[in-house]
Amino acid sequence: MIPAIEFKNITKQFGNLKANDNVSFAIRKNSVHCILGENGAGKSTLMKILYGAYQPDSGKLFVDGKQQNFHTPHDAINAGVAMVWQHFMLIDDFSVLENVILGNEPISGIKIDFKTAQKKINDVITKFNLGLNPDDKVEKLSIAEQQKVELLKILYRKPSIIIFDEPTAVLSPVEVDEFFNIITKLKDSGNTIILITHKLREVIQIAERVTVLRQGKKVYEAEATEIDEDILGKEIVGDSSFEIASETKLETDGEKKVAILEKAGLSSGGYSKLNDINLVLRAGEISGICGVEGNGQNEIVDILLQLLSVENGTAELNYSSVSVVPDDRIKKGMISEYTIGENVITRKMGFEIALKAKLKKLSEILIKSYDIRTPDYFTPMGNLSGGNQQKAIVAREIENQSELIIFSHPTRGVDLKSSLFIHDEIIHVRNSGRAVLLVSSDLDELFKLSDRLIVLYNGQTVKEYEPLELKSRLKDAESFTVEVGKLMVGAGIE
Amino acid sequence: MENLLSIFSVVFLSQVFRMFTPYFFGAIGGAYSERGGVINIAIEGFLISSAFSFAVVNIFTGSIILSFIIAMLVNAVLSILFAIFTVKLKTDHIVTGVGFNLLIAGLADFLIAYFFKTSSNTPRFEEIPTIEVLSFLPFLSDPLIIVAFATVPLSAFVFFKTRFGLRLRSVGENPQAAESLGVKVRFYKIAGVVLCGIITSFGGIWLASYQNTYSQGMTAGRGYIALAAMIIGKWKPVNIFFVCLMFAFFEALEIKLQIIGSFIPSQFIQSLPYIVTILVLIGFIGKTRPPAADGVPY
Ligand SMILES: Nc1ncnc2c1ncn2[C@@H]1O[C@H](COP(=O)(O)OP(=O)(O)OP(=O)(O)O)[C@@H](O)[C@H]1O
Ligand SMILES: [Mg+2]
Repeated sequence: MIPAIEFKNITKQFGNLKANDNVSFAIRKNSVHCILGENGAGKSTLMKILYGAYQPDSGKLFVDGKQQNFHTPHDAINAGVAMVWQHFMLIDDFSVLENVILGNEPISGIKIDFKTAQKKINDVITKFNLGLNPDDKVEKLSIAEQQKVELLKILYRKPSIIIFDEPTAVLSPVEVDEFFNIITKLKDSGNTIILITHKLREVIQIAERVTVLRQGKKVYEAEATEIDEDILGKEIVGDSSFEIASETKLETDGEKKVAILEKAGLSSGGYSKLNDINLVLRAGEISGICGVEGNGQNEIVDILLQLLSVENGTAELNYSSVSVVPDDRIKKGMISEYTIGENVITRKMGFEIALKAKLKKLSEILIKSYDIRTPDYFTPMGNLSGGNQQKAIVAREIENQSELIIFSHPTRGVDLKSSLFIHDEIIHVRNSGRAVLLVSSDLDELFKLSDRLIVLYNGQTVKEYEPLELKSRLKDAESFTVEVGKLMVGAGIE
Repeated sequence: MENLLSIFSVVFLSQVFRMFTPYFFGAIGGAYSERGGVINIAIEGFLISSAFSFAVVNIFTGSIILSFIIAMLVNAVLSILFAIFTVKLKTDHIVTGVGFNLLIAGLADFLIAYFFKTSSNTPRFEEIPTIEVLSFLPFLSDPLIIVAFATVPLSAFVFFKTRFGLRLRSVGENPQAAESLGVKVRFYKIAGVVLCGIITSFGGIWLASYQNTYSQGMTAGRGYIALAAMIIGKWKPVNIFFVCLMFAFFEALEIKLQIIGSFIPSQFIQSLPYIVTILVLIGFIGKTRPPAADGVPY
């Protein structure tokens, strides 16, 4: 059978860096194919080549047996390819509907046929249970909802080959299951699906075939039947092994209370509301907040950053400095046109002279100690791979030595090895006596790092597990996961 | 007081609409360009080029229709040039705009001297006739004012109800996203700039036509005021219409007060539109937010 896609000796170079180095492999028609690899391995670059956004320096691309030279995404779309980008391609000022129909507008006369569009979109929303309102402005949606808009764009277009670049990085476990249901449906209706993810469990769950890239080269290829998480983990990192640091959890409360929110509420300003938030952050303690995204996490963070102020209850903020790794790295965490060094210096308070040598030194430290993969020191942050951008931001915020550090999805889009490294760093931060707030949709991450766990639902802190309790509950992680999972969706609340 | 009330006459209203027309065409033209993400401060230059070419062709041929068409064409060609610089060669929009303004103004001065051996203004010529059947409506009988009125709903329709408008706005907001959906980003940016040039030509034509001459410096910075009106109007046709009307009203009022003499210092009236502008810009009257990728070369 002719494969849906075949890459033949694809090479793509940025400066001296070979992002794709002579890559050849094929993707079967009507299959779910996973592409794996470390941050900066070249996954997104290869997908952008397939989608016509980048042109390869050499090599050939076949789609449905036909050689193609896609010059723009327009060409790829015409050949039946669609892509959900790692960093969303949404127009904030547009409604969901406008974002979905753009480039594919139903027309009646000289006018866009909004009625037909609305109906078609509502049908897809209902069929796939996406829970979106076509008239909402995209800028008001949470990251997970924006991901659903991207999905909706694809479902509306009915392409035959669909690329998903790390779609699950922003989803909670429940949402990942829903997403995989949709993938299965798409496959059943004949689509070919390419999925990029760093979560090996997901690969085992859904892939039919996998390809692993390492430093731009294809290093491994296998059928689903031949793989397990161990094999994949080894293939991804290559020879270098890594150790998992021992986690130590607190058993008692941290001493100094750096922030106290009591019955805190917020009725306007934020997009979703807070109504009863009880939260104490303590020095030398990691407080984890778990909940489905959009239940008030961002508002709590904004209160701690003093971007919002509470309207009911009290917020006592006793820290002198605060750092944050934001949930949306592109919009809130960095200036894409600036280099790493410039992004670091911009973050610093006070007067700094940005001499080239100094910028180089600043970025050198971070690049070395956090293993940030970049073509060179002066590559704009926007040109780093997603995971490496994230690492740079985490590095910058940790190095800032603030009294309170907020990590919002710290390992979003970060590969396994680097995630472990970041986890270690977070524990170091705690051990150095600073207060940490961890917001994440990754339960494993929360369970691993949190000394204290708070469940958030619908703007309320519905449950708090004290250090000692948490430690003992985690001994039976499976039943604890079920319990927390229920609380997160509002079940089991008196 | 009687004096003050007497100013609100039909004559005064016609004066307001006379002031309104060049502002409006400049501002709404600018909106086409900026919705597509190209900041176009060359509007001042586009007013000059169209006023000048309308005048010259009119003087030499005596044909209003021909001069109208040539003025539009001149602006179309200039804006294609502007688009080649800003969209294709990705030059800085502001710098390019300043360059165009200086160049066009200089060229007009040179050509006036060349054609008419004078440095100030051209000989007089016939203005665009009013529409007979509408002559009972004092200011609505001017064809270009009717065009201006029609442009408001038409532009709102184009921006918000058509495929062209959706795509134009998308390239001004987020060209990467638009391109990822197969939208031809450059085409829409160029189209926005060219439409801006053509629409702005109506403003220039109007200026020359109702004064029956082209004189040096007759645009008097109206292109920049038009840009301010566009910003205060939040790039929305209906808002732009009213903002331009407000600017025109105060300008006409100021002239009137100078003529009749009044206890209100005319400088105060004169400054009112700018006070309003500043109030808007510092956020008293709602926030203005330009297209997200406005002025960013792509
Ligand atoms: N436009 C660009 N200019 C310069 N370098 C680039 C550009 N795009 C990608 N790169 C570099 O190419 C390498 C591969 O990047 P790519 O985005 O393909 O990685 P990835 O495998 O998708 O990683 P991640 O898991 O972090 O998303 C990186 O080192 C990146 O910095
Ligand atoms: Mg990537």
